[in-house]
Amino acid sequence: MEKDRVAVGMMKRIYAFTFFVAAVVALPASIRVHAQASQNQEGAASYAKHCSICHGDQREGNIPGFPPLLDLSRQLTPQQIESLVRTGKGRMPAFPKLSQQEMASLLRFITASEPSAGESNASASLAEVGRHLFQRNCAFCHGRDAAGGETGPDLTRSKLVLADVNGNQISDVIRNGRPGTKMPAFRLSNEEMRSVAAFIHHEGGSSRPGGRRGVDVRDLQTGDVAAGKAYFNGTGGCAKCHSPTGDLAGVASRFQGLKLEERMLYPDHAKSHVTVTLPTGQQITGLLAYRDEFTIGLRDSNRVYHSWPVTRIHFIVDSPVDAHVDLFSKYTDDDIHNLMAYVQTLR
Amino acid sequence: MKFWKYALVVVAAALGGLPHPGIAQSLNPAAIEHPAPDSWPTYHGDYSGRRHSALTQITTQNVGYLALSWAFQTNQNAEIKSTPLLVDGILYFTVPDNIWAVDARSGHMLWHYNKPTEDGDHIGQRGVAMYKEWLYFLTPNGHLVSLDARDGSVRWDVVVADVNKGYWTTMAPLVVGNHVIVGVSGDLDNLPGYLRAVDPVNGNAQWQWDSTPPAGTVNSTTGGMTWITGTYDKELNLIYWGTGNPTPVLNGKTRPGENLYTCSIVAINPDTGKLAWGFSASPHDTHDWDAVEVPVLVDGTFHGSPQKMLMQASRNGYFFVLDRTNGKSLLTVPFGPVNWTLGVDKDGHPIPNPAKEPAPDGRLIAPDEGGLTNFRSPSFDPKTGLFLVDAHPSYSLYFAKPADGAYGWAGADYGLWGKGLLEAIDYQTGKLRWTHDLGEDGSGAGVLTTDSGLTFTGDGYGNVMALGTRNGKTLWHAGTGVGMSSSPITYELDGRQYVLTSSGGVLFAWALPDAAIRTAAARHK
Repeated sequence: MEKDRVAVGMMKRIYAFTFFVAAVVALPASIRVHAQASQNQEGAASYAKHCSICHGDQREGNIPGFPPLLDLSRQLTPQQIESLVRTGKGRMPAFPKLSQQEMASLLRFITASEPSAGESNASASLAEVGRHLFQRNCAFCHGRDAAGGETGPDLTRSKLVLADVNGNQISDVIRNGRPGTKMPAFRLSNEEMRSVAAFIHHEGGSSRPGGRRGVDVRDLQTGDVAAGKAYFNGTGGCAKCHSPTGDLAGVASRFQGLKLEERMLYPDHAKSHVTVTLPTGQQITGLLAYRDEFTIGLRDSNRVYHSWPVTRIHFIVDSPVDAHVDLFSKYTDDDIHNLMAYVQTLR
Repeated sequence: MKFWKYALVVVAAALGGLPHPGIAQSLNPAAIEHPAPDSWPTYHGDYSGRRHSALTQITTQNVGYLALSWAFQTNQNAEIKSTPLLVDGILYFTVPDNIWAVDARSGHMLWHYNKPTEDGDHIGQRGVAMYKEWLYFLTPNGHLVSLDARDGSVRWDVVVADVNKGYWTTMAPLVVGNHVIVGVSGDLDNLPGYLRAVDPVNGNAQWQWDSTPPAGTVNSTTGGMTWITGTYDKELNLIYWGTGNPTPVLNGKTRPGENLYTCSIVAINPDTGKLAWGFSASPHDTHDWDAVEVPVLVDGTFHGSPQKMLMQASRNGYFFVLDRTNGKSLLTVPFGPVNWTLGVDKDGHPIPNPAKEPAPDGRLIAPDEGGLTNFRSPSFDPKTGLFLVDAHPSYSLYFAKPADGAYGWAGADYGLWGKGLLEAIDYQTGKLRWTHDLGEDGSGAGVLTTDSGLTFTGDGYGNVMALGTRNGKTLWHAGTGVGMSSSPITYELDGRQYVLTSSGGVLFAWALPDAAIRTAAARHK
């Protein structure tokens, strides 16, 4: 298949762009201005001049390239919108020279409420109402059909969505966002949340076949515990670094299924240590923070970052995770299934 | 404001910016056969796919002085994955839904075409093709658009792939004579891949070659997408193309046998669309290992006899050398960790191990789904006989169970670990003469070699690098902030050799300072 992923790590870099501000302060109702466009001609003119070419004449946006702004005040405060307009972000250009007066009018125009999809379509089905809200608020990241976009995951296969009943779980995520990720919080009424959930469930039931499937915990139960334990302590050499009563105690309670198996085979982002010897003979040891062909970087015990050109110093990297790489060419599939059976007993 | 800037450029051009309107911004298709040093007229630079240049101003001695001449900002989130064309001093390059025409001397923009599309996968756009004064551009929703190279105005727009069925298009078309040859993408649905030739003048279809029988044929495969630009041998009058994986992707039960012509290298007559021969690189693939990687054409000796060869470093981990007159195997060897075969048969095809097909409890597979290499271009250096490829040694888990069905992906797979390694393969033996580490995870950078013994590529951290082709030692590097997902090119304008690379949404033009150029010129006298 045509797919440009080189590796998971590359993917993270490729898609590492953030458009939305994660921390969102709820917008006080008193600030929302229910002004019609006709009562705010300056704002409308400013919008038409600066914004409409990308975000559309009616603030409807153009997915996947340009987000709709119709419901922007559900995500951002006027202060946050102003900051975004003044400084730009990603492909969004900066408009630093707008006068305070024009900016105020523009903000009033952008945040002016439209008749919401929920109010104007009382007779439509809940999922149909949710579709409009979803297109305005969610589709830019999660795709028009909720099956994922470049920056947001497929919602139709999400565990949380599958466990959700009438929005009882989805609503929490919409209301609070996911702090520390790109998922912002949204101001939607309970009824609107239920409609968005109904739309996501509807898409999950009807989405086009042919996508990637999943792995269940029960799929990974074909191994033999005793053989796995023997491999752990013997051929595999796992016991040289790990202990079922030490670092691995309870590991099967912390991770299950595929996630556990992936960590067992290669713990991504495992930490390495590096010792750097300076020309003076001074040695600095810390967590390896960066290494390419030309530069080495570490974080010392005070979490302070230091870096050097590799030609100026000597360094030794201690990377215990490399033992996992060495095993790849040695495993049989049975070894992996047996080891998985054993590791799953470490609850 | 932007409109007026644009309008002024157009007016200035109309008023006399083009002293020879009949010559400027135009490409005679015959010129692709022997490209001039001041041009890069087709995706691979020429028809051979070697991505090797005869330019020698930048040498192993002076490459350390290489510096930024200019950079062009697309101001887009989309990464540049295209190879620019260079014709009459103007570069044309793309991201999905966008084309830019940029002055190759200064990096300033002449025009920008942007027509957003909603349908189709926007995974990448690999570049335009040119015929006379017309450009040819494929859109995510399966349209072939022809534009006027002078101002980017659209001449015509035809549908070449049905986005509603599940196709999309990303590749750079190949112009051969009066044919614009386009390939297609898409395998989340059980659809046949195909190549189509289009009339460069009016957009009419000339012929279509289907990789597989129609969808629904009993006990037969679909798939075989054609999403990387092929190569062309004028003497044999054959185009060479790689085809993608079969569908359903991870479940091979409904498609017994070799699944021709998926995961294959095919030779096709460009005037008729008739197949001359086909070679299966991954018989009965169940790991998504498209054999679309560039089929590189090399004339030389093989074990002492003169041969017209075709070389491919394939995504499934094997390096193939074929006799391109008839498709017979000369060499098949793995170029990294490969654990899915029972060996190679007498005709040079890897023999898939049934025990390594995706299974309900998972199978450990090398390489991973991204493959030991992929879309990024390799390069062949004739002086050293080295085939240089950005490899990706890797391991992964593959799953499939009856409940996953027999449509589209039909399973799941997960990469575990991988790294980047530039490999210099001796084409006579397949042995690695040297390797050069490109970092954890891997690199998406293609490779360019020059007659002066230089290899240009990039690592996984965003460093653009020049290596000595003989030994792989780093001679120059510059950090660009993010890894490349494109392949470098080079050209010479006004006595200055440029190397062009892209990272993220930025195009970089590297060249020597004047003093170094004067020294290089003096040495040549």
